[in-house]
Amino acid sequence: MLVSDSATSSWLALLFWIPRRQLSMLMIMSTLSLSELLGLTVYDSTGAASGRVREAALVPQEDRSRVSSLIINTRSGSRTLPCSAVSGIDGGVRASTTAAEWNPASGAEGQFLLSRDLLDQQVIDVHGRKVVRVNDVDFYQETAQNRLVLKIEGVDVGARGAIRRLLKGVIPLALLRMLVQRIPPREIPWEFVDLIETDPARRVKLKISHERLAKLHPADIADIVEELAPNEREAVFETLDEEVAAEALEELEPKFQKAVVESLETDRAADIVEEMEPDAAADLLGDLSEDRTEEILVQMQPEERREVADLLEFGENTAAGRMTTEYIALPVSASAHDAIEAMRNFEGRMESMSTIFLTDSNGTLAGTVPLVKIAMAKPETPLLALHQEPLIYSRTNAKEKEYAELFDKYNLLTLPVVDDHNRLVGVITPDDVINMLRAKL
Amino acid sequence: MRFLRRWKTQILLFFSVVGPGFITANVDNDAGGIWTYSFAGAQFGHALLWTMIPITVALIVVQEMCARMGAVTGKGLSDLIREEYGLRITFLMMLGILICNFGNVVAEFAGIAGSMELFGVSKYTSVPICAVIVWLIVVKGQYKTVEKVFLAASFFYITYIVAGVLAKPAWLDALTATVTLPRLAVFKQHSYLYMVIGLVGTTIAPWMQFYLQSSVVEKGVTRRQYKASQLDVVVGCIFTDVVAWFIIVACAATLYVHGHRDIRDATDAAQALRPLAGDYAYILFSLGLFNASLFAASILPLSTAYTVCEGLGFESGVGMKFSEAPAFYWLYTVLIVAGGAVILVPGLPLVKISVLSQVVNGGVLPFVLIFMLLLINNKELMEEHVNTRSFNFIAWATTVVMIVLTALLVWNSLRGGSS
Repeated sequence: MLVSDSATSSWLALLFWIPRRQLSMLMIMSTLSLSELLGLTVYDSTGAASGRVREAALVPQEDRSRVSSLIINTRSGSRTLPCSAVSGIDGGVRASTTAAEWNPASGAEGQFLLSRDLLDQQVIDVHGRKVVRVNDVDFYQETAQNRLVLKIEGVDVGARGAIRRLLKGVIPLALLRMLVQRIPPREIPWEFVDLIETDPARRVKLKISHERLAKLHPADIADIVEELAPNEREAVFETLDEEVAAEALEELEPKFQKAVVESLETDRAADIVEEMEPDAAADLLGDLSEDRTEEILVQMQPEERREVADLLEFGENTAAGRMTTEYIALPVSASAHDAIEAMRNFEGRMESMSTIFLTDSNGTLAGTVPLVKIAMAKPETPLLALHQEPLIYSRTNAKEKEYAELFDKYNLLTLPVVDDHNRLVGVITPDDVINMLRAKL
Repeated sequence: MRFLRRWKTQILLFFSVVGPGFITANVDNDAGGIWTYSFAGAQFGHALLWTMIPITVALIVVQEMCARMGAVTGKGLSDLIREEYGLRITFLMMLGILICNFGNVVAEFAGIAGSMELFGVSKYTSVPICAVIVWLIVVKGQYKTVEKVFLAASFFYITYIVAGVLAKPAWLDALTATVTLPRLAVFKQHSYLYMVIGLVGTTIAPWMQFYLQSSVVEKGVTRRQYKASQLDVVVGCIFTDVVAWFIIVACAATLYVHGHRDIRDATDAAQALRPLAGDYAYILFSLGLFNASLFAASILPLSTAYTVCEGLGFESGVGMKFSEAPAFYWLYTVLIVAGGAVILVPGLPLVKISVLSQVVNGGVLPFVLIFMLLLINNKELMEEHVNTRSFNFIAWATTVVMIVLTALLVWNSLRGGSS
C-alpha cells in the first residue's frame, strides 16, 4: 500500500532477504499506527492538500474504541474532521468534504485525545498485571460504504512502537515499515488497557472506571497501585468499589497505606476502612496522626468503630494488636452440625475459620476444634469430643516473639487470644505472623 | 548513663533527618569531584575560589527544584520529560545522559584504581574485584545496608577541613578570593575556562538531578512533608560546597604553593593532606578516595539504569529478576563492565580522564536545566508550586552561563586553544 514502486520493494527485498511473496503480503496490510497517522497530509474532496493530522479523538461516551474524529492543522487554524467524512487513508487522509466544511476544533470536552492523553503516558495492563508506558497506538481500519472506520486495536509498549516513532521522518517510510515488521510486537489489546485519570470530573465525562482492574486479586491491585504516583494512587482508590478498595488497601505496604488514607476525603477513607479487617484497620489507623484517626473513626458505622477502637487500645506489637476480632465461637454443647451452620453464616475471612472455638457461658475459652476434624466427623458429634489437646492460647499482652514461637512450636493454624479472665477476645492467624516476620527480614 | 542516652537520641534524630538531599550531596563529592577540586587548587591556587558562592546558590536552586518536582508530581525527572515532551526528545536526552554518566562511571573506577595503587595494589586487581563487588551489592539487594556504611565513612571529608586549617593557608587571601569576581580576561585562558566548566559540572552534575528526584519520590515525600526535604537539600548543598572549598584551599596551600601544579596521579593529590597526616597522608587520602569512588560507583550505574529505563518505558527495579527486567540489568552490567574495562587500558592518564568527564557534565547540564525549568513552570503539573521569579532567574542564568562557557571552550579548542 505504502510501498508502491517495484524498484523500492526489490531493493528492500535485497536488503533484508525477504521473499517477494511475503513482501507483497506486507503491502496489503491494513493496520495503521498512531505515529504513522499523525502528521499525514489531509486532502479534501477537491484533492487539495489542506492540512496535516494533529490529533485523533475518541468520544468514550459513545464508543470506547472507535476514533470519532481527526483534528487537522490547517492554514486557517485547527479543524475537526469527523471520521465519517474520511473515505480512506493511503499515503494521506482522503476527506469526502471540502476544507471549508470542517468545523473549527473546539475545546476537548468529553473527548479523549490519543496523542495528548495516551501516547507516552502510563496505563495499567490488566492482563499482564503491571503498569506500562504507551509507545504507540495500533488501529485497524476498514472502509464501509466509502467511510473510514478506525478502531483501536491495542497499545504498543515494546521496542517496535518505540523504534517506529524514533525513526519516523529520519529514514524513508517504506524502509521503516520493513524494519519494524521484523521486531516482535509487544501489544496490549485495548480491552485490557485501564486508563488512569486524576481529574474526577474528566473521569466521569470520559467514562473512565477501573472495572477490569477491580476484577484482579487484591494483592495484584496493590502491586500495581504501588507503582503509580501518589495522585494517581488516590484516583484509583477513589474509583474502586469500597470492598475491593479495602482488600487492596490491606495488601499495600504500610508506607503507601498511610499515604493513601491521608490523601482521601475523610468519608471515603472511613467507608473503605470500615470494610477492612478490624485488625488491619487498627494497624493502619494506629500509624496515622491522632486527629486523622479520630476524624475517620467518627465517620464509621458504630459497630465497626467499636471493634477498631478497642483494638487501637492495644500496643501494635502485642498479641492483641495483631489479632482479628472476627472468628467463630460456639457454646461447649454445640455439635459438628452447628459448627457447619455457623460457618455458612460467617462473614469474616476464611483464615480465621480454620478453627472453631468453644466458650462457656462466661465467654471463657474452653476448647479449639480444627475445621478438618469437623469436616470428617458425623453431624451429631459433639464438638467437645473433637477438641484439640493441649489448649494453646496467648495473653493479650504477649510479645511478638512469644506468640510467633507458639505458632512455630505447635504448627498452629490459629492462635486464640484471651484476656486476664481467660475470656476469648480475638484470634491471630498465620498471615498476621508472616506479615510481622517479613517486616523484620 | 544519662549522657549516653542523650547522645543516642541525638544520633537517632540525625539519621531520621538524613534524607535524599544529604546522600546526594555526599555522592556529589565523588572521585571526579575530588580530582577536579584538587586539580583546581593545585593549578590555580585561590584563583577559582570565587566560583564557589555562585555554584552553591545555583546548586541549591537546582536541587530544590528537583525535590519539589518529586514531591508534587510523585514522578521521576525522566518520567516527566517523557510524558510532556514525547519519546524522541526523551531518547536523545537519555542518550546524552548515558554517555555523560558513562564518563562518570569511568571516573569512579579511576578513583578506585588510583586509591588502591597507593597501597601497591595494581589496577588490574582492584578494578575487576571492585566491579564485581559493586555489581553484587545491587543485584543481591544489599544496597540499602551498604549505603549506611558509605555514608558514615564519608565523614572522611572532614579531614580536608582539618588539613586545610593545618596547612596555614593565607586565610585573608582565600576569603577575599572567594568574594572577588575575576577579570574577564582570564576566560581567554583555555585551561582556566576548562576548569570552571569542570567545577560546575562536578558540583551540579546532571545525573544528580535525576537521582535526587527519584529518591524523593521513592521516599514517598508528599507536598505536606516537603518543607523538611527542602532543609535536607539546602544543608546537603552547603556541606558539599564547604568541603569543596576546603579541598581547593588545602591543595592551594600545599601543592600550588610548592609549585607542584600538575596532578598526575593519586600520590600527587595525597600531598595535600600532608599537613594533617605527614607521611601517612597517602593512607588518609586513599581510604577517603576509595570510599567516595566505591560509593558513587554503586549509585551511578544503578541510577543511570533506572533513569534510562523509566524514560524509555522498560521494566526496571532491583526487586525484579534478571529475566523480568533484562534491559535494566543489562544496562547496569554493561555500564560497570565497560566502565571498569576502560580503566584497564595501559598507560591511561586517569586524572585527566576524570576531570574531562566532569567537563562533559558541565556541557550537558544546561540541557537538563532547560527541561527542568520548562517542567517546573508548567502550571498543569505543578499548580501553585511553580518556580518563583528569583528561582527562575537564577536557574536560567546558570543555563545561559553554562551554554556560553561551553561554546567558548569549544570555540577555543577549535582555534587551537592557547593555554
